[in-house]
Amino acid sequence: MGEVEETRRRIVAAAYACMARDGIASTTLDATAREAGVARATVYRYFPGGRDELIAAAVTDQVAAFFARLREDVGDPQDVTALLERGLVAGRRRLAEHEVLQHVLQVEADRLVPQLASVMPIVMGVLRDEIAARLVRERLRPGVAVGEAADLLARMMLSFMGTSGCWDLDDPAEVRRLVRGQLLAGVLAD
Amino acid sequence: MPVTAAADGTRRADPTGTAGCVSAGVDGAMAPYLQADELTTRLVAAALRCIARWGVAKTSLDDIAREAGVGRATVYRAVPGGKDRLLQLVLRHEIGRLYHEIDTELAAADDLADLLTRGLARALSVVDHPALGYLAQHEPELVLPHFAFHRLDRVLAATTELCRPHLARFLPDDAVAPAADWVARIVVTYAMHRSSALDPHDITSIRRLVRSYLLPALTPHPSPLPSPQEQP
Repeated sequence: MGEVEETRRRIVAAAYACMARDGIASTTLDATAREAGVARATVYRYFPGGRDELIAAAVTDQVAAFFARLREDVGDPQDVTALLERGLVAGRRRLAEHEVLQHVLQVEADRLVPQLASVMPIVMGVLRDEIAARLVRERLRPGVAVGEAADLLARMMLSFMGTSGCWDLDDPAEVRRLVRGQLLAGVLAD
Repeated sequence: MPVTAAADGTRRADPTGTAGCVSAGVDGAMAPYLQADELTTRLVAAALRCIARWGVAKTSLDDIAREAGVGRATVYRAVPGGKDRLLQLVLRHEIGRLYHEIDTELAAADDLADLLTRGLARALSVVDHPALGYLAQHEPELVLPHFAFHRLDRVLAATTELCRPHLARFLPDDAVAPAADWVARIVVTYAMHRSSALDPHDITSIRRLVRSYLLPALTPHPSPLPSPQEQP
């Protein structure tokens, strides 16, 4: 890794460490510089947008890492049903296990959620592409457009990962009922 | 700390003043809107105009009084809890209005497809709410956290309560909650993150989504269950 990239990585990691330990409100350029062991001016050079840009970068970084871990969990299922079922189960588990996320949601949701919301369109796009790639290999109900269906399914996956609502998604049978009986019922031909 | 009366009559701490929206049921949620007196209606409208222009943080009680064309003393007397209390009032009023508008739309539906289409369209019209639009863009921390992770559960439960009598016309009892849960999630995601797949202003695109993706999952129960009047 080049020196520039390495320094940037170190700064972003330091910002995350501050956020996890002291909270987002306390994560300043100064605190991050101290944590990273670099000068304040250095941090500012990499993040001219200041604190806001730094926090956004740390959140984006963590979200990317989360979905990389999720992709490993899910593997490379050939069909869309397996993708959704595995993705939902693994996603829920990873979210529940994410101590920093759970803690920040308790104490600083108002600071974190807008950051996550900014990143969601990118996440949705990636999920949408994964889903679409598998939909084109399936027999679809007449009138179903792949892009539109993939968009809806990606959004629903994220929504159900966030909260299971009236469903008991710890029960594999309910996961199957949700994915096959509801989410894919209008998408896949019988 | 504002308190609210829970359904069992006890008083509970209620920092946002909105617990009544769910615990007191659909009627309780609509009351702040349907029973608002003239002064309240005027203050709410004025507050919404101010928020649409400057947001919540920069809107003062004086701004709202001026916008409403009433004296400061009148406002302070009517809303003893100050700006925070007035904002709660505004929130409960607007939630009540949304409930009422959706309820009215759903009651007019002829079949399940129509019901879901009307409900989605009316709920999605929040994207055009000027005050909400301003806040979503400039003060997202006031809006977005209420729909994230487990806080979405409240929205899902409220939607289910509101839709239950209407969905019950067309769906068996155990299908009501999953259906309401689903449409609430669809509203939240498409209101928050726009996409060409669903245009909130285009009822044709909403109807197509309903027919293509929702109906096949919610039926086979295509014909309405007989209502009490139709039974022999």
